[in-house]
Amino acid sequence: MANDEQTAAAETSAVAFVGRSKIDWTGYAFVAAFAVPFLLFNVAPVLFGIYVGFTDWAIIGEPNWIGLDNYREALHDTWFKQAFVNVLLYALLVVPGVVVLGLSFALFVNRSWPLSGLARTILFTPNVVSATVIGLVWVWVLDTQFGLLNHYLGWFGIGPIPWLTSANWSLIGVSIASIWWDLGLGFVLFLAALQDVPKDLYEAASIDGAGFIRQQFAITLPHIRPTISMVVTLQIISTMRIFSQVYVMTNGGPAGSSASVIFTIYQSAIVRNMLGYASACSVLLFLAVLAVTLLQRLVLREVAHA
Amino acid sequence: MSELRLSRRSALAGAAALGAGVLARPAIVRAAPKEIVHWSWLAASDGEVWQKCIDAFNAAHTDVQIRMELVPEEQYTTKVLAAAATGRAPDFGWGTAGVRAKMAKDGVVVPLDDLAKAVGLDIADFDPFSIKAARYPKYGNGLFLVPMDLMSLQPEVNTDHVKEAGLDPDKFPADGAGLLDWAKAMTKSEGGKVTRSGIMMTGSGVQPTVTWGIVSAQMGFMRASDDFKTAAVNPKAGIAAMEWVLALFDTHKVSTRDVTDRYKAFGNGQGSIFWTGPWTLNGYVAQKLPFKTNLFPQIGSKRVTYFEEGGLELYQQKDKGRYEATMTAVKWLSDNSKLWTTVGRGASPRKSILSLPDYKTAGNDWSVRGAFVDGMAFATEGEIPVLAGPDFTIYSGGNFLAKTLETVWAGKAKPEEAMAQITEKWQKGLDAG
Repeated sequence: MANDEQTAAAETSAVAFVGRSKIDWTGYAFVAAFAVPFLLFNVAPVLFGIYVGFTDWAIIGEPNWIGLDNYREALHDTWFKQAFVNVLLYALLVVPGVVVLGLSFALFVNRSWPLSGLARTILFTPNVVSATVIGLVWVWVLDTQFGLLNHYLGWFGIGPIPWLTSANWSLIGVSIASIWWDLGLGFVLFLAALQDVPKDLYEAASIDGAGFIRQQFAITLPHIRPTISMVVTLQIISTMRIFSQVYVMTNGGPAGSSASVIFTIYQSAIVRNMLGYASACSVLLFLAVLAVTLLQRLVLREVAHA
Repeated sequence: MSELRLSRRSALAGAAALGAGVLARPAIVRAAPKEIVHWSWLAASDGEVWQKCIDAFNAAHTDVQIRMELVPEEQYTTKVLAAAATGRAPDFGWGTAGVRAKMAKDGVVVPLDDLAKAVGLDIADFDPFSIKAARYPKYGNGLFLVPMDLMSLQPEVNTDHVKEAGLDPDKFPADGAGLLDWAKAMTKSEGGKVTRSGIMMTGSGVQPTVTWGIVSAQMGFMRASDDFKTAAVNPKAGIAAMEWVLALFDTHKVSTRDVTDRYKAFGNGQGSIFWTGPWTLNGYVAQKLPFKTNLFPQIGSKRVTYFEEGGLELYQQKDKGRYEATMTAVKWLSDNSKLWTTVGRGASPRKSILSLPDYKTAGNDWSVRGAFVDGMAFATEGEIPVLAGPDFTIYSGGNFLAKTLETVWAGKAKPEEAMAQITEKWQKGLDAG
C-alpha cells in the first residue's frame, strides 16, 4: 500500500515536471555557443552550396533552378575531368612520398642519432610556412635555366628539366614542393607513434637475433599501423584539395597539366563568377574525396585483418 | 560582506537584453556622402601614383574625401558583385572597358551619360575611340566608364643586347621579317637550347596568348564580326597566327618555353624584345634596365596591336543621391589626370592633356614612353563587349582562350583542333547575348 502511494506520488511529480516545462536551458546555452556559429558558418553554407549547385546563380539576381545541368556540364567539361585526373596523379605521387619520407625521417630522429634534434626542427619547419611562400621558393628552386635543382642535377649530367614549364613535368614539379611542405605533419605524427612503441619489444627482438630492418617490419609497422592509416587519410584529403602551390607555381598550366579540382573551382567561382557551376564541382569533389577515403580505410582494414 | 549571486535566469535575461540592445541599434542612414568609397586593384608602381592622385583630391577638398581600398585584381569583380548584392558596393572603382557587359546588363555598373552631363564632364574632350570602347552596344549603348588611360602593347628592347648584336637601336624593324632577323641576332643558345630569348615568350599564360591575338588580327582574323553575330571570322588566319607563334619556339628558335616570370626575365636580361604595356615602365626605369620602346611591327597585312582602356566606373547604390557627388569626384580625377597619364600608366584619353606643352617631357623619358602614346594610333584589338567577353580576351593567362591555345603551345593539340574548339565556344558565347 505504502509502495503504491510512493509510486503514484512519483508519477504525479514527473507529470507535474513535464507539465511545468521545467527544462534546464543552461546546457543548451553552453552548447549554443558552439552550435549556433557552427550551424551558421559551416553547415548552412554547405547546404546553401548544395542548393546553389542546382541553380545558375552568379551572385547578382535570384538563383534559377536548372536541375542537374551544372553536373552534366561538369561531367562533360574537359578541363574539369583533366583536373580530376591530375589530383589523382598528385595523390599517387604526394601520398607515398610523404608517408615513406615522413616515416624514414621519424625513424632516424627516433633513434636519437647525431643531429636528430636539429633534423626534427628542420623537417617540421616547412609545415609552418605558408603555401604561398613555399610556392615562390620552389618556383626559384625549380626554374629550368637558373634553378638550384637543375644546377645540382647538372653535376650528374642530367637536365635541364623543365619542371614547371612543360606539360609533362609540371605535375611532378608541384608534387615535389607539396611533399616538402606536407612532410612535417606526417613526420611529427609518425614520431609520436614511434615513441609509443614499447622499448622492451625491441630488446626482446634483439635478444632473439632480429636486426634493425626485421625489427621495423615485425614490431614498428604493426604498432604504428593506425597512425599510417591516419596519415594516409589526411594526406589523401589534403592532396585532393591542393590549390595554393598550383596557383602560385604554375597557374594550372601548361595546358591544364597541373590544374587541380580546387583550382578549377576557384577559377569558375572567383574569376568567372559561375557560382552554381563551381558549387556543383565542389559537391563532386566532396563525393570523390569521401569515396577515396572510404575505399582507402576499407583496404587498410582488410590488410590489417589479413 | 554581501555576496553577488547571479542566477541562471538573470544571466540569461541579461544576455538577452544585451543582444536585443545590439540588434535594436538604430540603422546607419547613409546621407549624401562626406566620404566616397573607392576600390582599386592597382598594386604595383602604378598603384603608388594612383594613391598620389587620390591624395591630391583629398587635399583639394574639405567637404568630400575619398577612401581608397585595395582589392586583388583577380577577385575584384566577384567582390564588387557580392558587395552590390548586399547593397554595400563601393561608390566607384577601377574598371577595364569592354569586360563588364554582364555587370552593365545586371545594373551593377551605372550608366554615366546623364551624370557626366550633370557634373559638366567634357565628353568632347575625350578621344572618340576611348568613349566608344567604354560603351556596350548590346546594352543600351550607355557610357559605363570614364576613360582614364589608354594602353597598348609595344615592344620594349634591351639596348645592350641590340648593341652587342651590332644592330642600330634607332632602326627597330617595322615588319615581321625584320623582327625575326633582329630576334635571331640577339638570341643566345647552348646545346640547342635557347638561353636568352630574342623574343621574350613563355610556354603558357598571357604572353603567347596575346601574341597570337595581335598577330592573328594582323593576319585578318576577327574574334567576332562587327555585329557580334559570327565568331572566329577567317579562321585560317587564326591558324596561321598559331603557327607563327609555334615557329618562334620550334623553327626560328628565338624563344623558349622555359621562362616562368616574363617580367622578371626581361628585367634580368633573359630576353631581348618583350612586347608589354606601359605598366612596366616605372619598374624597369627604377632598376636602370637599358631599354627603349618601339612600335609593334607589321607582321600581317595590317598593323594592329592590343588595346586596353582603364577607367573609373560607378556602382549601384541604394542612395541614388551619392551618384552625383561621386561623379563630381571622378570628373576631378579625370580633369587632373596628367600625373596619372605621364608617370602612372598609359596615354591620356583627354585631348586637352595630350596637347599640354610639357606632356612629352613629364614622366619617364620619351624613348621608353613615346611608343605607348604614339602607338595608340593602331592599337585597336581590344575587348569584345558581350556577356561572354572574358572568354574572348586575348590578354589573359587563364581564360578559355589561353587554356585552349596552351594545348597548341604544349604540342597536345593541332592548331586546327584548337581553332575548332575556339569557334564553337565563342559562337555559343555570342549567341548567349
